[in-house]
Amino acid sequence: MSTHNAARRQAQGLSCAQPRSRAPLLMLLGMVLVGAFLLDLATGSVMIPLRDLLAILTGGTPLKAAWADIILKFRMPKALTAALAGAALGVSGLQMQTLFRNPLSGPYVLGISSGASFGVALVVLLVGVTGSTWLVDLGLAGDFGMALAASLGSASVLLLILLFARKVPTMTLLVLGLMFGYAASALVNVLLYFSVAERIQTYISWTFGSFGGVTWRQMWVLAPAVIFGLAVAFVSAKPLNAFLLGETYAHSMGVPVQRARFGIILSAAVLAGSVTAFCGPISFLGVAIPHLCRMLFNTSDHRIVMPAAALLGGSLALVADLIAQLPGSQVVLPLNAVTALIGAPVVIWVILHKQNLRSSFAS
Amino acid sequence: MKLGFKYGGWSIAALIGLVLLCATACGTPVVAPEFLTGGESETVTGPVAAIATESAPIVLEGGNVLDGAVEAYDPDVDYFPDKVSPRYAEGFEVAYHPNYKVVTVLTPWREADVTFRYVLVQRGTPVPEDVGDAQVIEVPVETVASLATTHLPYLDELGLVDRLTGVGGFAYINTPSVVEKIETGGIIEVGRNADVNVELMLDLDPELVTTLGLGMSSKDNHPQLLAAGFDVALVSDFMETTPLGRAEWIKFMALFFNREAAAEEIFAAKAARYEALAALAQDVAERPEVFMGFEIRGTWYMPGGGGYLARYLEDAGATYLWAGDDSNGKIPLDFETVYERAAEAPYWVNLSQSWTNVDDVLAADERYGDFEALKRGGAYNHNALLNEGGGNDYNESGHANPDLILSDLIKIFHPDLLPEHELRYYRHLVPASEP
Repeated sequence: MSTHNAARRQAQGLSCAQPRSRAPLLMLLGMVLVGAFLLDLATGSVMIPLRDLLAILTGGTPLKAAWADIILKFRMPKALTAALAGAALGVSGLQMQTLFRNPLSGPYVLGISSGASFGVALVVLLVGVTGSTWLVDLGLAGDFGMALAASLGSASVLLLILLFARKVPTMTLLVLGLMFGYAASALVNVLLYFSVAERIQTYISWTFGSFGGVTWRQMWVLAPAVIFGLAVAFVSAKPLNAFLLGETYAHSMGVPVQRARFGIILSAAVLAGSVTAFCGPISFLGVAIPHLCRMLFNTSDHRIVMPAAALLGGSLALVADLIAQLPGSQVVLPLNAVTALIGAPVVIWVILHKQNLRSSFAS
Repeated sequence: MKLGFKYGGWSIAALIGLVLLCATACGTPVVAPEFLTGGESETVTGPVAAIATESAPIVLEGGNVLDGAVEAYDPDVDYFPDKVSPRYAEGFEVAYHPNYKVVTVLTPWREADVTFRYVLVQRGTPVPEDVGDAQVIEVPVETVASLATTHLPYLDELGLVDRLTGVGGFAYINTPSVVEKIETGGIIEVGRNADVNVELMLDLDPELVTTLGLGMSSKDNHPQLLAAGFDVALVSDFMETTPLGRAEWIKFMALFFNREAAAEEIFAAKAARYEALAALAQDVAERPEVFMGFEIRGTWYMPGGGGYLARYLEDAGATYLWAGDDSNGKIPLDFETVYERAAEAPYWVNLSQSWTNVDDVLAADERYGDFEALKRGGAYNHNALLNEGGGNDYNESGHANPDLILSDLIKIFHPDLLPEHELRYYRHLVPASEP
């Protein structure tokens, strides 16, 4: 009886949440995102004065012609990729945490990152072994081929998950995802064993994660995929609130559980899969950002937290990229090292200081 | 080397005089004449006249023992009249004693805090006491397994492929004599990359295993080989910072087979050719700018200015854009940094091994198309001799013949200096549509 009352109170609390009062904070987050974007454009290994940066952005001519190329061909796609990837990972991480009611879930919990790794490994490592030139002839041996293979890999895992999603309960799905992930990683290890050193280095560089490998040509695929994923995710934000209390309760509240789950998993997989395909596996952002958002807005209402996750995710990814570039120095750090250095302390701090972690995952 | 010969000559002369004196006095027949005139000098027979000068040991005529053991050991004989001394290589040292050599590998890998010592004892002579933690190996070695392709040209040039019984990966090998021996079934594949199949190795039982170490326990195979009881020579030729230093490790390999004379002669010829080529390129009026490498997902791993690749470029009469850096390794740079500094440079060498024409380069990343070197036909890739299994002869025979690579580079930057030369290791990158 008391648990039912508590649940009803929580549900009422959620439905009574007023998104309007959070609007200013959301707008502030939006401005932070824009600020981070501009900052990322302005910093890099090459020192470009702010005046020239503004000139380039407004269509004028800078002091050095090469600077325009650097801003438009290198930093702009990189910053855009970072913003999109951060948003995608934040939102998909949020969805996974709610769906599986596990505060440590991230976007890769369904084995999607491992599927992408397997796809990339197939392309990168097999080219050397079979000595085949057909991949090169098709123009698939480079970055684009890797992205395509990663997409196919994560899509395959996604399809498998969706196939099972209709038939098995959610917790079983989690375990299935983990198992698919292990299987894919094992296959990757076998491929690594038979490979040449240079190809192994290419594959390992891919696992470092990077926003800088996406060119405008590839953006034509990445941007629509992320926008599609975000759109489906926002549509499923309201049903997600019901999932916070468990699937049985959601069902009793009239939420079409099967359809909602399908939409959630589809959007999460597309978001995580496309980011992994083009940027490599990026750790920690997907786990840390939902916690930060929930803490910042002091709510679990997905109608607020989801847009917040998108904005904050984009900002954090841009900041991580900034730090990884080590402005002023010519060398760069691997992106995953920076995200882990930022993300791990955040998660630890959140878990230690947050009193009501359990209540936001009523289990 | 020369010192040994000088002493050798004098001591032989002194020996003849004293032996004759002794023979007349004692009336005992001495085998000295046989010793002095001995044809092949494969083994030393009979007691050599015990009288020798105090300061210089008696020296074997005919050079080091190339095969087999000494039958009767004499502590006053210097069994290694042929010696090596490294002139360019800084990674190994050798100290000669009458019947054994102490060889030390000083920097087996980057930032190593260990060295590897070997006491190479002439067969048929006693092992010295107090060797410490050094590996004691009897030389000349009869069978060897080599786990890296840079070791194979050394064995080939020293005429030792008949002693090679195991290698670490058939697909990557280019040295013709080794490939032939593989095809006739005379060599076993005992591993692949860094993984070694210890069972196969135990079955093969070579007297010596040559390998390389990286200092990472997950990748190195020498710990398990040493634990299995093998004699393991760690060849750290890759650590040298000059092309000649790298190639001079043929002398290190020769130490295990008493082939010092051959190694000295072979290397001296190559060094002379290399120095002559470098001198040729020294006085050019213009040193064109050049850069190397390629980017992987936004990071460009640029070879450091302190390494052998940078040295090649300097010796070939070019200006390496990152010569100011003095690291021996690769610097992880931002793509935009390279773009800013190198977009106007006329030459680009040593790109990704999988690119064979300009279209491959552009397919990898369309931003490469802005580099002048690619647009104006100044891109040359070092994969002309890349075999189907992924093994690049640039790293095999090229490693042992730096004068050939230098000729290629001089031909690229200053074609009028070497009009007859044709590129061997380098491939000129042109659009796929061109022949």
